[in-house]
Amino acid sequence: MRILVIEDEPKTGDYLLRGLGEAGFVVSLARNGRDGLQMAGEGGFDLVVLDVMLPIMDGWQVLRALRLQEGGADVPVIFLTARDEVQDRVKGLELGADDYLVKPFAFAELVARIRTLLRRGPPREDDVIRIGDMEIDVMKRKVSRQGQRITLTAKEFGLLHLLARRQGEVLSRSIIASQVWDINFESDTNVIDAAIRRLRSKLDDPFEPKLIHTLRGMGYVCELRAP
Amino acid sequence: MRLAGASHSLTLRVTAVFVLIVALVSAGLGVYLYRSFVAEIERRDDILLLGKMRQIQQLLGNAGTLDIIRERPQYFRDTMSGQENSLVRIVRDDGTRLIDVNPHGETLPLPVPVAVDAPVGASAIHGWTSRDGYPARVVAASARIGQPAQMADITVARVYGDRSAMFAAYRWQIVISVAVSALVAALLASAMLLRGLRPLRAIAAHAALVRPGKLEQQLDAHGAPTELLPLISALNAMLARLQEGYARLSQFSADLAHEFRTPVTNLLGQSQVMLARPRSSVEYEQLVSSNVEELERLSRMIDSMLFLARAQQDEMVLVKQPLPVQDEFLRLADFFEGLAEERELALACHGSGVVAAEPQLLRRALGNLLSNAIRHAAPGSSVVLRSHATTEGMELSVSNLGPAIPARHLPHLFDRFYRADPARSDSAASTGLGLAIVTAIMQLHGGSASVASDAAATTFSLRFPLA
Repeated sequence: MRILVIEDEPKTGDYLLRGLGEAGFVVSLARNGRDGLQMAGEGGFDLVVLDVMLPIMDGWQVLRALRLQEGGADVPVIFLTARDEVQDRVKGLELGADDYLVKPFAFAELVARIRTLLRRGPPREDDVIRIGDMEIDVMKRKVSRQGQRITLTAKEFGLLHLLARRQGEVLSRSIIASQVWDINFESDTNVIDAAIRRLRSKLDDPFEPKLIHTLRGMGYVCELRAP
Repeated sequence: MRLAGASHSLTLRVTAVFVLIVALVSAGLGVYLYRSFVAEIERRDDILLLGKMRQIQQLLGNAGTLDIIRERPQYFRDTMSGQENSLVRIVRDDGTRLIDVNPHGETLPLPVPVAVDAPVGASAIHGWTSRDGYPARVVAASARIGQPAQMADITVARVYGDRSAMFAAYRWQIVISVAVSALVAALLASAMLLRGLRPLRAIAAHAALVRPGKLEQQLDAHGAPTELLPLISALNAMLARLQEGYARLSQFSADLAHEFRTPVTNLLGQSQVMLARPRSSVEYEQLVSSNVEELERLSRMIDSMLFLARAQQDEMVLVKQPLPVQDEFLRLADFFEGLAEERELALACHGSGVVAAEPQLLRRALGNLLSNAIRHAAPGSSVVLRSHATTEGMELSVSNLGPAIPARHLPHLFDRFYRADPARSDSAASTGLGLAIVTAIMQLHGGSASVASDAAATTFSLRFPLA
């Protein structure tokens, strides 16, 4: 998957280039709006990450021009803004952006949004998810490890299902709060940690290898890691 | 400066109006006095004119008068005219002029004479203008002359040249006295205004001293006239409000700097220490993770600050919905359940009815209260969510058991960055803005937030107005 990042701030551009590259994307970086628009016009990108405050051509101009370009009308665009004003967001979405993030944002959040946009359309839900020796029967809402049945509450199951469905993806606490509990505001992060601890006590404590991993400062990820 | 300028023009304007009033009144009075004086003089002159006419009529009626006229006309002429400017003409009915006193050769008008036995009154007098342009009066009547009686027409007239000069002098006197009284009024008025407005200038001088940091200087109401007392007290109230706002703002800026300083100090310090010599990758990883935690806290603080700023500028448009209270309670209890369980707390929801609120903001406010309650509740106790319908609306409360919050902290709990216990170590997790956000949310809803705390329980209440 090829991603074009249009960002003038050097440090931001550098870490986006590196971080998205390490997340498995092929990333190109443009340091101003004009170059960005030109690169986007050459085509071949699956998604554009666009900063609004750009020299020469600002993000809105780039977006407007991009949508008029041949082949640029359909590419998904996430815009980044430092100004959390409602009219800014509305403007971006009206101009045809697909999503936005307000600076400062968590990097994991950006990756999650990119993955969601690239998935496009309802993701195909597996009836049974297997990670290592864990098996989740989504329809029957049953979980087992090494053939042993694990009893989870509804919320615990929801949490595990989210982590397993997006295995290998780092999920921030705010994504988890939003997806599992529909809590969409900055809240007590201890709540998510407590929920993870409870899930681990049932899922990981009695078994090896561990499946739920903490990425300090970022969130949680569910994956089978090499021992 | 502006106050001083305004008071100056006030003096001018009031003085001008005062002078105008005095001039108008005295001029009106002068005109009235002049008119009545003139009318009185004219009335007297007319009476004299009629008296002379009657005198001549009587004289002519006497036997022998005709002889005197014939024989000594000069004598009669002197008797009749009496004064200069008196004109007398007597013409017999056969047309012969018996007497014609007319030293200046005036052209007398000839009014219709009053009949012989009819009384000669003021209505018979006519005005005319002399050759020199002076006002003059004339009266004519018929009379019997001698025995046997013959008829004659008497015409008596007078030119009032002296009177016109007197009237002109009187007019000038009035004009001069009006001017003098206006001048005196102007001087007196401006002097009195300057004196009377002295308290205003005092206020201006005092107000000029007011500047940030010196707002506590109140204007002195002592000795000020009663009319200015409301102004002074309004200005003082304004100063007090400004001072309060200013103090809060500067306190807030100081707090903000302090709150930002702690994480920034951590970030700087630990990064510099780590960079001082080569470290293992594990150590670097720890550094970066720790930095991320500090930065997340800063980021949360920025978000909260922006939320508060926007809420206070009324930039947010609320879309209120009727929300079943118990559903909202259960949703939050569900979210906080794990955390509560870890701390051996039970969550009890006793909600009923409907509250009109914006769902995300309601959840955020309740979530902040619940998170606080769980943090401070005594282990093993219950945190209770209750609703209570009142006549004004819906009251939602969150209570927890635990040590009472000292009363001196209660009024400040909702202030930004206020922490009842500054030494509390979990400040790393909280931004100190949670309760300020609760207050802002309640203000957006037109409601209020309050707290009560005693040894039994600490209860935070949110009051939502109806609809």
